[in-house]
Amino acid sequence: MSQCVECGAVLSVPICCDHCGAIFDPQPGTDHFSLLGFSRAYALDEERLAQNFRRLTAKVHPDRHAQRSEEVQARATRLTADLNRAYAVLSDGVRRADYLLELTGGPTAAEERGVPGDLLAEVMEVREALEQARGVGDRRTIERLRQVNESKRRQTLDEIAALASGIETASVRQRRRLRLLLNALRYFENLTTELV
Amino acid sequence: MKRDGDIIVGVDLGTTNSLVAFADAAGPRLIAGEGGEDDVIVPSFVRFEADGRTIVGKGARDHAVEHPLETVYSIKRLMGRGTADLAEEVRRLPYRVEKLSGAEGRDVAAVAAGGRMWTPPQVSALILAELKRRAEAHFGCDVTKAVITVPAHFDDAQRQATRDAGVIAGLEVVRIVNEPTAAALAYGLDRSASATIAVYDFGGGTFDISLLRVEGGVFEVLAVDGDTHLGGDDLDRTLIDLFSREIREQSGHDIDSPVIRQQLRSLAEAVKVRLSEEDRTSVEIAVGGAFTYRRQVTKAELEALIAPFVDRTLEACRRALKAAKRSASEVAEVVLVGGSTRVPLVRRAVGELFGRRPYTALNPEHVVALGAAVQASILAGRRQDLLLLDVTPLSLGIETLGGAVGKLIGANTRVPCKAVETFTTFQDGQTAVKINVLQGERELAADCRSLGMFELRGIPPMPAGIPKVEVTFLIDANGILNVSAREVRSGAEASIQIVPSHGLTREEVRRMQHEAIEHAREDMSAHHLIDVRATVEFDLNKAERMIREHGVLLAPADRASLSEAAAALRALARESSDARLINEHREAFNRRLIPLAEKALTAALKT
Repeated sequence: MSQCVECGAVLSVPICCDHCGAIFDPQPGTDHFSLLGFSRAYALDEERLAQNFRRLTAKVHPDRHAQRSEEVQARATRLTADLNRAYAVLSDGVRRADYLLELTGGPTAAEERGVPGDLLAEVMEVREALEQARGVGDRRTIERLRQVNESKRRQTLDEIAALASGIETASVRQRRRLRLLLNALRYFENLTTELV
Repeated sequence: MKRDGDIIVGVDLGTTNSLVAFADAAGPRLIAGEGGEDDVIVPSFVRFEADGRTIVGKGARDHAVEHPLETVYSIKRLMGRGTADLAEEVRRLPYRVEKLSGAEGRDVAAVAAGGRMWTPPQVSALILAELKRRAEAHFGCDVTKAVITVPAHFDDAQRQATRDAGVIAGLEVVRIVNEPTAAALAYGLDRSASATIAVYDFGGGTFDISLLRVEGGVFEVLAVDGDTHLGGDDLDRTLIDLFSREIREQSGHDIDSPVIRQQLRSLAEAVKVRLSEEDRTSVEIAVGGAFTYRRQVTKAELEALIAPFVDRTLEACRRALKAAKRSASEVAEVVLVGGSTRVPLVRRAVGELFGRRPYTALNPEHVVALGAAVQASILAGRRQDLLLLDVTPLSLGIETLGGAVGKLIGANTRVPCKAVETFTTFQDGQTAVKINVLQGERELAADCRSLGMFELRGIPPMPAGIPKVEVTFLIDANGILNVSAREVRSGAEASIQIVPSHGLTREEVRRMQHEAIEHAREDMSAHHLIDVRATVEFDLNKAERMIREHGVLLAPADRASLSEAAAALRALARESSDARLINEHREAFNRRLIPLAEKALTAALKT
């Protein structure tokens, strides 16, 4: 842990000093986890995450530094933007998994655009069935399709969580699998909005 | 005047009314004008006189009917807008709105009044200057800093325009705060345990719904929705349209004129207000010729007319609930803000949607200014126990190839927030790249609002596709976009030239600020001149009476020269506009009068 350049106190988080209230730009390479006082891992205590976010925001927010120099005000704005982004990513399980995958070497969404096996064919089948059911006003079939889609979405989320939890020791195949699953979510979500 | 840097006032710059407030240790209080404690509202009306003078507030509002072309109101609806946006609106306004000339590549609406063009920030600045003057009279020192509120749904151009108005009025706008958030602060709806509250803000020209999570002094906005062109003006307009249609049908004439428009507007507003208390009311309006329009209006009739607008507000509430991932029943408190929430139908509809009686302990027309004052006290460092965390109301994106929108920051993202995007060149040696920055939720660039063209310059000449320009889009705590750029390979700061689509350039704002100072000085000297002339007239009348009654006490030559001097002073006061010169001559004349005054006094004592 580093020390505060203003007062010398040991810093518990890299962006502000609990002791004197000074705020600092984080070292290059500071990730969302360390910014919010967490180690790099998928499993985290969401309650503590929210608490840390609020506590840090209360210290670095520009409203708290409105009487300081323009330089400090600009820094406060940057830091709060960083905190907001980090919190938005980490407080969402899917974004957290995606971020963790990227952070530990990918593949990123840009590098691997694929989805698991027959997902696209399945989605097309669901769409066809939906169109037919709509044509004859078959509410029950639509409801069944919705339930199936929802359960597949949940299964995918569970598998994402399991793979992301073991990211440190994951094989290349498992990492790729995680990427494909993350890419797949969009299809399930699109279907969710269609299946009403 | 002494300066006090600690004074930051809170300003509600409203469509219909504007207010200024200040919060000290005892809490926030509205600052009143000369009319006494209840004189806290400055109607957002400005009249432009032919001689260049401007009249702000009640004086302008109360004579709007006699001066339809010169009286500007609802200027907030024009802020940050172009004439293309306002085509529909402008047809109904009695005053003239035109495209600002000399603004190539931009569409900035401006008002033509008093023989010149006024941009909306300039008009708003006149209202702000009046509020500033009130605050300065109250504190007895300069007031140069303010927190100004805007509808939560205001886009970047509208926020910029508001800040520009502050600058032109000589105010440093320390923070732009969203109106519903300010209202939540004023209500102090703080809880020790976490609770969700809704602020339903239906004003003169805009509608906002905000959902907040409050806990331990932190007011965290979860989602906002709304419409910057939906307000009491629209409710009034349903009546205006009804009346004008019937007048046309019954009189057989199209009687549209600026005077009639302004008369109908005042009438419609009065009817709406009366029907908030009563079940029926009658209207009567002489529209020229022998024809007088008379009619009864019932509350039910009004409610049928305005129901579609109220429904639109409820739609926005539902969207906001969805974005905040909350159900209506989870909302612990609903706060009403804005004059339009006095309409009984509005209260009923909101109560039904949230399944609870809305909270209205504070005056809905005062609460925003009070909240702005609380936020000002936070920024001044006097309140450490409160903190506002707000969101950006609209998605931010850039136009990509083929006219699509590449989204950078989503709506309802906490501010400040930032996104970084890398751009490159398409041609060898290209040194500049143009980016169209957009705000809105639609898929196509053409359906979103362009904030402006951002031109990156100073890219080192390299083969096509090689330069990597990293552009940082940062939305600050005011909800205003700041853009910076850097060429990654060379590390060179790229400069950014911004042509706002509907806004003013910095140079224009600076020029307008100087103009405003000049204008205020002229205004002041005009007032001063009037005062000096009045004093001259008063002194001359007194002197002439003395010459008439006691002139016999002087030698005839002295008496004649004194009369001549009086005539000369009167001529000077009439012809010169140099107040100081006139005043010097007045004083000199009064000194010449002293011997006669003394003789008159001695004579009086003798008898």
